Amino acid sequence: MADTKNDSKKRVRNFTFKALKATVKGILCYGIYFVLWMFLAPIAEIIPGFQQMVETFVIVYIIFIIIGELTSGTIFQYCFNVARALFVIGYLIFSLNGGIFGLTFENVSFMIDLRLFLAIATLLGLLGLAKSVLQAVNYMSEKAECTPI
Amino acid sequence: MRVPIRMIGLATTFFWIFLIAFFISAVYSLKDVHFDFGDPQTDLTSDNKFILSLPVSITNKGFYDIDSFNMTTKILNREGLSIARGSTLIPIITKNDSVTVTHNMTIDINDLLERYQEYLFNDTEVTIHEVVGMRIGDMIPLQASANFSVPWGAPLYNFSLGEVEYVAYNLTHFRAVVPISFENHAPFDVVGTIQIQMYSADEVVGDGQTNIEAHHNSPYNGYLELYVPITEKPESGHFEVYFRTPFFKNDDRPLVIHYG
Repeated sequence: MADTKNDSKKRVRNFTFKALKATVKGILCYGIYFVLWMFLAPIAEIIPGFQQMVETFVIVYIIFIIIGELTSGTIFQYCFNVARALFVIGYLIFSLNGGIFGLTFENVSFMIDLRLFLAIATLLGLLGLAKSVLQAVNYMSEKAECTPI
Repeated sequence: MRVPIRMIGLATTFFWIFLIAFFISAVYSLKDVHFDFGDPQTDLTSDNKFILSLPVSITNKGFYDIDSFNMTTKILNREGLSIARGSTLIPIITKNDSVTVTHNMTIDINDLLERYQEYLFNDTEVTIHEVVGMRIGDMIPLQASANFSVPWGAPLYNFSLGEVEYVAYNLTHFRAVVPISFENHAPFDVVGTIQIQMYSADEVVGDGQTNIEAHHNSPYNGYLELYVPITEKPESGHFEVYFRTPFFKNDDRPLVIHYG
């Protein structure tokens, strides 16, 4: 009876700690976005939809971080990390239109070639994906080692 | 396995921070790049080509060097065919540096007016296609382009020959006075000669030449004298008009105006 009570207390404490950690991470991420946005704000005035594009990315990214943190210690954490890495790659390719970003402002057409930037970002995303897969493999192997025969 | 995973994580985080910082600083520094365009100037080369010069000043106060700065101007006619082209390349503009260049465009007016004679007599519009390209921090190519129309003023706008007046000159010839009028709408002065050959059927019956001087944006009214044999005073026929100025001449394709 006392053990069950201790277990549930431990679980609540664990979950509270995870929730706290997730909240801190989320706030930290939002803080970084807030600081970086001050530099990017002039672009948002020129490019329509830029703010919405970045905000959507940040919201989804923070959600993945929070979910990943809440599910830490389980295999789902790594699944969400993989999903986050795939989301970063997919969203960058989709939102940057394959690397060629065009805009027409009054009579002037602007074209910015971000293919090199996109290629590096995609490689880093793939590296993050590989890391998450390795973490999942490591988690499973450690769990298998710990299982009593 | 934990150590390699942690190393991958650290390396990924480091490169992400580096990449995002570079991208944001590159974009942010764009606002510190200033372009100043001076007043366009015109000049004439020794081989009578028209030079349009545009002084451009670029001040780079951003965080990165700008390289491969390229400015290209194309002048297109109504059909979209290229009339003239000019390009200026600055290999590198270092940060905290200012560069002033003159963007030159050479227009062979003679060649242009030989190919498109309508530009001699009709006011029209030409399209200017402007492309400015550069690369920021060796990594981000950027290009801006614009099309705009510019009115073209014809140097011999509304060119016409008036009613020919015949006055007895001597026992064998008439003096034929041909009034000439046009307006010079071109950005340059029209100074040169006009030669008129008077034809009756397919035979030349008179030939004359006069000097003209018409400043830009001003009308010209003058006359030209021809001496026509009394026996061949024509009732109808045509004139062939030749223009010879430093900018253009139409020796191959004279203007034909019918009379009578």
